[in-house]
Amino acid sequence: MRPPIETRPPFGLIAWAVISLMGSLAFYAAPLRIAGGPDLMPMLPLITLFIWSTVRPRFIPPIVIFVVGLLQDVLSGGVMGIWALAYLSAMTITRSREEEGPTREIGPVWIRFLVTLIIAVPIAWGAGSLVIGQMAPVRPLLIESVASALMFPLIALLFIRRRPRGAFGS
Amino acid sequence: MAIGGSSRRNDDDVRFSRTFTVALFLLSIILIAFDRPQSRPPLLSGIRTTITDLSAPLLDLAAAPVRAVGNIEPYWRNQGRLAEENAELRRRLDETRYWRDLALQLRDQREVYEQALNVESQAMEERIGAWTLGDSDGPFVQSRLIGAGARSGVEDGDPVLNVYGMIGRVVETGQVSSRVLMLTDLNSRIPVMADRSNARAVLVGDNTAYPRLEFLTRDADLQDGDRIVTSGDDGRMPRGLPVGLAQRDRQGRWRVRLFSDQAPIDFVWVFPFTPIPPPVTETEAVEDTQPDGDEEQTAEAGQ
Repeated sequence: MRPPIETRPPFGLIAWAVISLMGSLAFYAAPLRIAGGPDLMPMLPLITLFIWSTVRPRFIPPIVIFVVGLLQDVLSGGVMGIWALAYLSAMTITRSREEEGPTREIGPVWIRFLVTLIIAVPIAWGAGSLVIGQMAPVRPLLIESVASALMFPLIALLFIRRRPRGAFGS
Repeated sequence: MAIGGSSRRNDDDVRFSRTFTVALFLLSIILIAFDRPQSRPPLLSGIRTTITDLSAPLLDLAAAPVRAVGNIEPYWRNQGRLAEENAELRRRLDETRYWRDLALQLRDQREVYEQALNVESQAMEERIGAWTLGDSDGPFVQSRLIGAGARSGVEDGDPVLNVYGMIGRVVETGQVSSRVLMLTDLNSRIPVMADRSNARAVLVGDNTAYPRLEFLTRDADLQDGDRIVTSGDDGRMPRGLPVGLAQRDRQGRWRVRLFSDQAPIDFVWVFPFTPIPPPVTETEAVEDTQPDGDEEQTAEAGQ
């Protein structure tokens, strides 16, 4: 018997989520400086993970966060597990704060993303420093964090515009 | 996400297993503890190279628009500047022809000398061209992913150069892609020498744009602007690959301004290299034949 429409998995959205996550990883690792561009790349995988976990939390179980972090580690040539651990920790903590109900307005969502960023980056920095056996340089991470914080609302607004009532992911 | 034994519910009715989440945390920590470039287990190496091989076409696709933007950039310049640039390039081409002829002449001369002296020189095979697919100048590692792998003849340890000079060496080889560790990375160590004086040193990356020259002798004959090339002392790369120019920093330490920094690293060449096997010394030769001798002696003693 055909399942009711409400319970059918939204394959189109799932495909879109997978494509956007893969695309964010590809653009994050792509050699953008070959065109003489600035060394300024926001953490697109984290932004994409966060937006999907707000819009459709069920699409982003812990294993997806882990895999995206792991792929970022491998594609950037680093030690495996650093970004996986950072993303898992940050997303777990910020998700647990949604117990009272997820916020859908752009302002609070942005603040929540900043909190995620503030948790993820020091964890990655600490783990990376342990791996290389000395304090890792802070500047590249700082630049990536600022770029991510500034770019997040622009990307998030695209999702909000698709929804006529201004609800974020509702 | 379920934390502290409870599962989380929201309007999407999401439930995630706490045990599974904890397992993933542990797996991340285990990977961080055991995944080291120097002693990476074959299983992890296999996983990494498979992932990079599979993602190579996607990364190439993502880089394509960037290359296109890079290529249309000269059209923005005015025609006068293009004409000047063209004339300058023609002049340089003429100069290069002279150096090319000289190089070929010297190569022929060297071959004659080598034949006369019965000397085997370091074997340089055909270079392998590749596009950069991924670019990582993060805080933890400075590397590039290139679109050539074992299928093209690339091997771990092969030096990689762009049009100006050496950029690094291959540290991970997949079937269709390879990871290049940049000279500026913390883990990079390359034996080099000054072209003028043959003063030996080790080029040590420290995540800055100017890697340090370490292990110089106290009376090393090194001057500002000396051309630094690979010395080949490690036996893993050829001698004489261009690296950069020596210069002192504010603290008086010797550093190298890399030639490869003159342009963005997009197209590169991998130089497969077959090192010369060390000669077998007389002692080693005797040791090799020793077991037979021992057996004979034992047999004689038995009789």
